[in-house]
Amino acid sequence: MALLELKGVRKIYRQGQIEVPALRGIDLKVEEGEFTTVFGPSGSGKTTMLNMIGCLDKPSSGSITFNGRELNELDKRELSIIRRFNIGFIFQSYNLIPVLTAYENVEFAIRLLNKYSNREIGERVLEILAAVGLEGMEDRRPHELSGGQKQRVAIARALVKEPKLILADEPTANLDSKTSEEVLKVMLKMNKELGTTFIFSTHDPLVMEYAQRMLEIRDGLIAVDRRREADGLSD
Amino acid sequence: MAFLTKLAFKNLVRHRNRTIFTSIIIAMAIVIYIFFDSLIGGMTELSYETIIDYESGHLQVMAEGYWEEEDELPLDYLITVDEDLLAEVKNLPGYKASLAELSFSALLSNGIDDLPVMGKGIIPEDFLEVFALEKQFVEGEIFESGEYKAVLGKKLAELMEVGIGDYITLLVKDRNNTFNTIDVEIAGLLHTGNPNVNQNIVFLPLELARQALAVGEEASKIIIRLEDKDQAARLAGVLEFNLKKQNSELAVYSWEELEAFSFLGAAELEKQVILAIILVIAAIAIINTVILAALERMEEIGMMKALGLQNREIVYTFVLESTGIGITGGVIGVILGILTIWFLSVYGMDFEAMYGMDLASFGMPVLGKIYAVWNPRAFIEVFIFGVLVSLLASILPAYWAADKDPVESIYHH
Repeated sequence: MALLELKGVRKIYRQGQIEVPALRGIDLKVEEGEFTTVFGPSGSGKTTMLNMIGCLDKPSSGSITFNGRELNELDKRELSIIRRFNIGFIFQSYNLIPVLTAYENVEFAIRLLNKYSNREIGERVLEILAAVGLEGMEDRRPHELSGGQKQRVAIARALVKEPKLILADEPTANLDSKTSEEVLKVMLKMNKELGTTFIFSTHDPLVMEYAQRMLEIRDGLIAVDRRREADGLSD
Repeated sequence: MAFLTKLAFKNLVRHRNRTIFTSIIIAMAIVIYIFFDSLIGGMTELSYETIIDYESGHLQVMAEGYWEEEDELPLDYLITVDEDLLAEVKNLPGYKASLAELSFSALLSNGIDDLPVMGKGIIPEDFLEVFALEKQFVEGEIFESGEYKAVLGKKLAELMEVGIGDYITLLVKDRNNTFNTIDVEIAGLLHTGNPNVNQNIVFLPLELARQALAVGEEASKIIIRLEDKDQAARLAGVLEFNLKKQNSELAVYSWEELEAFSFLGAAELEKQVILAIILVIAAIAIINTVILAALERMEEIGMMKALGLQNREIVYTFVLESTGIGITGGVIGVILGILTIWFLSVYGMDFEAMYGMDLASFGMPVLGKIYAVWNPRAFIEVFIFGVLVSLLASILPAYWAADKDPVESIYHH
């Protein structure tokens, strides 16, 4: 069974009397452990699709099944529980909590699970921060970190709870190419070591180089769905 | 929840200026309450003394029927002041002095104008022992027994355009309902913190009043001064028990029963109004702070929702933050309140010197400085009130913030 399945997903926004379709009928299956990138021009519907997969928004029609559960049937509280335990988010603008240190920003996500002891939490947070290359920077606040370091904290925060799925909305958009590559390597490493499923939206050709699967969205529809085989890309 | 509590605390520190500013607004509201509460307490204490010292004494012995109709100043329920009665009164533990008083209605005339007043026949030596009026003479002095002289309030004298040495006439109706007049010379003028004494009463020798009212050796009441005013209620019971053995019609009332402190009702109302003002000030400050904080932290709220926080958990952080502001404001307010009350309890507040305003002339039972009174209960109550208002006022705006669409919040710039 696929981790994620979208069937005929449509999303229509209303601007007064005018209906603006963002997604026009998306059909998609994502298996566990995939490292997928979604690309396409601005306004094509990438972020809208990610928001619906991440239980932050609901489709106008169609269905989304995540980990065997039909998301349309769930209320706000149930959706927040799915986000808390199963989905990690990485945003373009990092969205770290400014008053918390790097350590505390990561700790926040794992504390919400309410299933680890203080000692375990401490160990896991330090371990994941080291894994993303932030050893020794645990006590720094977001304003004391570079863009790349902030994004690493955001990645650590998404990974620390070992979610089934991580959604990253243009994670390298604010980073230079060297830092972008470092961040992508960290995510690829986590994908390989932990088997975490990643879905990115991006404009960045570098991200596409790392992706195992590429989805191109145009006018609210998946126009291209290609997988990278050992010897190259295949449709 | 412990982590959210820590986050709320960190937010308080992070927005230091806003926290301090809002806290100071709440603190000021609290100081205003404490200030007025202690000032009202001081005025109340002063008004007790004013009424006891100039009008009621600590205890009054009178006929039960007189008590019921005292406002009419009747001559039907007088008591006979004999040796046995006085001996029983003087035997009371804590006894200091006593005075037989004959009160009556009269029409005061200066030959041109008339004014209804209350006449009081008194024995001057006893009068000055029971009431602290000796130093309240602004002109002249007390008369002696047997003299055809009177003492009245300076304000009343001004109203009637009379002064020391002038003659006034009191038109009275005696016990037989026959009209009679008392012509007396003004011997002294009083000005006290008791508006009733200043404006409504004419004192004259007891035997003169008795003669004019045809009441023999009787009096309306015996007014008693004790060593300690706090013992009055208890001693009233003791004395009444003893006096009932002599005369079952006699009753004893303490000063608390005698005076209906309408002033206290007004003070209580004033406190409620100030509390309402605090409520509004603190609520506006907190609502404003929470809305500003929510608008500033829109992306943060969005991220918290993406992390899986539920609305109630986000509300909790905002409410806790506001409660923290309320506690900070409360602590600052209480500290400033302590300093204010300490200053006012030591140096007092002189309305006359500050504003050229004599409160007694405006009907307030206050003369001279008002000293603040410590009321620890007010500190505790207003602190709890401030914190509760801060907490409650933040709930709705916090829900407004927490209920924002997560997508809009995350991508809010």
